[in-house]
Amino acid sequence: MGALGKPIILMVAMYMFLKFVLPNIPGSAPLPSSLIALYLLLTGSGIVIFETLSKESKDAFWSPIQRFLTGEKMGGLQALRYGVLIFFPLLVGWQTYGSTAVSDMPPTESRTIHPAPPGEYTGLSNPVPKTPENIMQGKGFYAAYCSPCHGGNFDGKGPAARGFIPAPANFADPTTIAMLQESYLFWRIKKGGVGLPIEGAPWKSAMPRWEVELPDEWIWKIIMGEYDGAHQSPRTWE
Amino acid sequence: MKPANQIMKQVLRYGAVVTVAMMIGGASLGYAQESVSVRATLITGGLPLEDPNAAVWSSAPPAMFPMSPQVHWQNRIQEVTVKDVIVRALHDGNQMAVLLEYADPTQDPDDAAALEFMVGDKKAHFAHGQPMLQVEGGPVNIWFWKNKTDKAVDMSAKGFGTLKPQEHQDVKAKGVYANGTWKIVFSRNLSTAHAEEDVQITPGEFISIAFAVWDGRKDGSGDLVEKGSQKAISSWWYFRADAPPDYSGYMYAAIAAALALGFQFVLIRKLKKGQ
Ligand code: HEC
Repeated sequence: MGALGKPIILMVAMYMFLKFVLPNIPGSAPLPSSLIALYLLLTGSGIVIFETLSKESKDAFWSPIQRFLTGEKMGGLQALRYGVLIFFPLLVGWQTYGSTAVSDMPPTESRTIHPAPPGEYTGLSNPVPKTPENIMQGKGFYAAYCSPCHGGNFDGKGPAARGFIPAPANFADPTTIAMLQESYLFWRIKKGGVGLPIEGAPWKSAMPRWEVELPDEWIWKIIMGEYDGAHQSPRTWE
Repeated sequence: MKPANQIMKQVLRYGAVVTVAMMIGGASLGYAQESVSVRATLITGGLPLEDPNAAVWSSAPPAMFPMSPQVHWQNRIQEVTVKDVIVRALHDGNQMAVLLEYADPTQDPDDAAALEFMVGDKKAHFAHGQPMLQVEGGPVNIWFWKNKTDKAVDMSAKGFGTLKPQEHQDVKAKGVYANGTWKIVFSRNLSTAHAEEDVQITPGEFISIAFAVWDGRKDGSGDLVEKGSQKAISSWWYFRADAPPDYSGYMYAAIAAALALGFQFVLIRKLKKGQ
């Protein structure tokens, strides 16, 4: 393999890593193409510097390039040379066009799903005794008021859910009520979507402000019924 | 050492792999788009303000949005007729027209539909701009059409119970019912003189839009099933009128390609001298 083989493999590997591996690491997101281009440029410059450090490696690195670009009587390779010489400027032009084109994408949405509750809603404990009757009653309220959106199976797929973005929360999912305290649910149910702080994008949420319709005691019962029905338990700080 | 030919072949093979990979990467970026917005296509020549069936509507890309029965506030309704709306829009730099289309098995005098927009820079809740507790909200502008009059009413709201027709009526509407489908065209100038109550549409900028539909059918005892807050609704989506075409991207691309060409030229000359 010539002196150019390894650098090229390295560049391809780097590209594959940035494009396909990195975005799949939990907590990261797809990289914008401009950032990928920047990383590749840095990798490329690093390789050129490394390869040209010593006289021998410099020659080994440049001579195939030189031969390809200037050599004579090379038959098919010469045709390929012209192909590359035409293709490279076109590629540069294409990439430039892509990076200047105005985006057709709507503004990116970054909505905090679990913003901090107001101080008075931290650390409240459920004042309703956890009896089978109370849980039953809570489930009954849930069926009447919550299931149209959050679903009879607590999965967020109620018959009225489809038109709402963000979608009604799926309580069976471990990232919703299972990681929240009862106190937090009490805040969310009482104040609804309109009670969210700005980072929660309150203008989009269909979650009703239940304090205008339901007494606190019912809300505490609903919380009990909700955890029981979704087979989850509230987060506690023991 | 291998002959130069063989090395070059290898180089080219790897080069081809890189190029193909870049193209695949670029292509997949280009298609990662969802139908989350209504795009008003810029056209020259007349807008079909009165004609939901005009051929020119085919030049506007359709966007489909799911609808829910209104179960967000009292009075609720658990089931509605309309499950989706299809929306197209056109503009000519001066006026715009929005075509709302949906399936409704019967034509009734009380059939009605509305578009809702956020007004100004302040966010407004999709439910009539109801007050938010930690964020200062703005008003909404509602364009309400009903079959009975086949006209639009230009309305404002900032909270439940505040919905009222505006003093300045700027919106027109025309509905046509055929084959179980309503098609309604709403139209207005892109901008109006009343920016505090009317949505202002600036080509190229995204604004928020929501939809509502009432099927005017009656139940067994002759009462309307869908009326007032009992309707099909959506939450916010985006709307954007296309900006006039901008060709500067082609110019930058040409400059970049010319620079790359020049670089190649210089490089080859240098290499030839070095031989
Ligand atoms: C109109 C539809 C609708 C109804 C009815 C509704 N919700 Fe919601 N709910 C939502 C939506 C949409 C969200 C997600 C957006 C948000 O967090 O505000 C949500 C979020 C929630 C959350 C927050 C979950 C989390 O992980 O942060 C809780 C808790 C909740 N709802 C409980 C209830 C309860 C209890 C009821 C019945 C008393 C109810 N909801 C009725 C639409 C609804």
